[in-house]
Amino acid sequence: MNEERLLELVPLAALGALDAEERAAFEAALASSPAAERELAAFRELVGRLGLATAAVQPSALLRERLLRATRPAAPRRSFLVPALAAGFVAALAGLLLVRGERDAARGERAALEAEAASLRERLAAEVAFRELVSHPETRVVSLAGLAAAPQARARVVWHAGRDEGVLLASGLAPTPVGKAYELWIIADAAPVPAGVFQVDADGRAVFRLPAGLEFAGVKTFAVTVEPEGGTPAPTGPMVLAGAVS
Amino acid sequence: MASASPQAASLIRRLTRGDHKALGEFYDLYAGLVNGMAIRILRDRAEAEDTVQEVFVQVWQQAARFDPLRGSPEAWLCTMARSRALDRLRKRSSRREEPELANPGSTEAPKTEEAIAVRNALDALPPDQRTALELAYYEGLTQSEIALRLSEPLGTVKTRIRTAMIRLRGVLGPSS
Repeated sequence: MNEERLLELVPLAALGALDAEERAAFEAALASSPAAERELAAFRELVGRLGLATAAVQPSALLRERLLRATRPAAPRRSFLVPALAAGFVAALAGLLLVRGERDAARGERAALEAEAASLRERLAAEVAFRELVSHPETRVVSLAGLAAAPQARARVVWHAGRDEGVLLASGLAPTPVGKAYELWIIADAAPVPAGVFQVDADGRAVFRLPAGLEFAGVKTFAVTVEPEGGTPAPTGPMVLAGAVS
Repeated sequence: MASASPQAASLIRRLTRGDHKALGEFYDLYAGLVNGMAIRILRDRAEAEDTVQEVFVQVWQQAARFDPLRGSPEAWLCTMARSRALDRLRKRSSRREEPELANPGSTEAPKTEEAIAVRNALDALPPDQRTALELAYYEGLTQSEIALRLSEPLGTVKTRIRTAMIRLRGVLGPSS
């Protein structure tokens, strides 16, 4: 089908009035002619507008209610973790998921939200792990007190030697300077063994899941120092928290 | 061209954000238009209301697909209403004769300048062009079916419809 013929058929095609065979030929040839595609879009829009001439008739009053009931968004579902987790955290997560559901969030905003969601998921995983850990009878807990460099700081390490799991909960720690982080140490009879690097949030809190593969046997002391953010094999910075295992 | 479009555009933005209240407002603006088209095509009040429901559910689900560059919200709605009502009409035509609607309900005169312009442009068409166009528009007939219905040669019908469409475009211009 040449372009002249295509353009001739455009008004009929826009109305949907072509017979099946001609319509198939028209549609097959359409992609070859940007001019015909533009014309078709313009005529389709005109076809839409022609509907405005139709006399309006109000539907029954019940229809509005029926529509709104059928489309009403479901209330956000509450998480089963509500009793176990801080309500604020759950609300933040639920709010975030709602916001994420919005269809036209700007792309940049969406990326930021997804990053935030990922970090919240991470926190959630840490809290769930913590809850499982504390419920186990062989799990041990030690309190760490703030030292001179951070007198307000408090922390607990909760660990289960057999399951090779541990979590540190800290509060009252100042955010570290750029390029620095807090590093946890396990001190037994020999030199301190690094047990992971963590940061605190704006409120000075941290829920830090200790890396897998740590050796807890014989631990006498847990301590936290300020170190370069990548961590170091042996402590170099000031000690801010320490707690002896009884 | 003055129309309800600015208000409609802002409602569509709210719908895109999932604002359910905006759907009620959008419905209040356009339910009469969509229902009027569905009644004109289906000639059945209950089927027309089912169509209205479908169209507004589609608006709710697909507001983000509305592209203001491709036309007004009214044209978008009319396109959806016509297409859904014609689908129902085609499904029905095999099983029963179309009922004649004795009383279509209270109708309203077109309110916006654009609607009045469209009505006037259609009224100005020669009757044979308008008849052929309306058979395609409201009954969803193809050119051959129209030729059969009117007992006219196919070529004549094609020319009438094409001439009518080109004339309407000339009078109404591109969308506002």
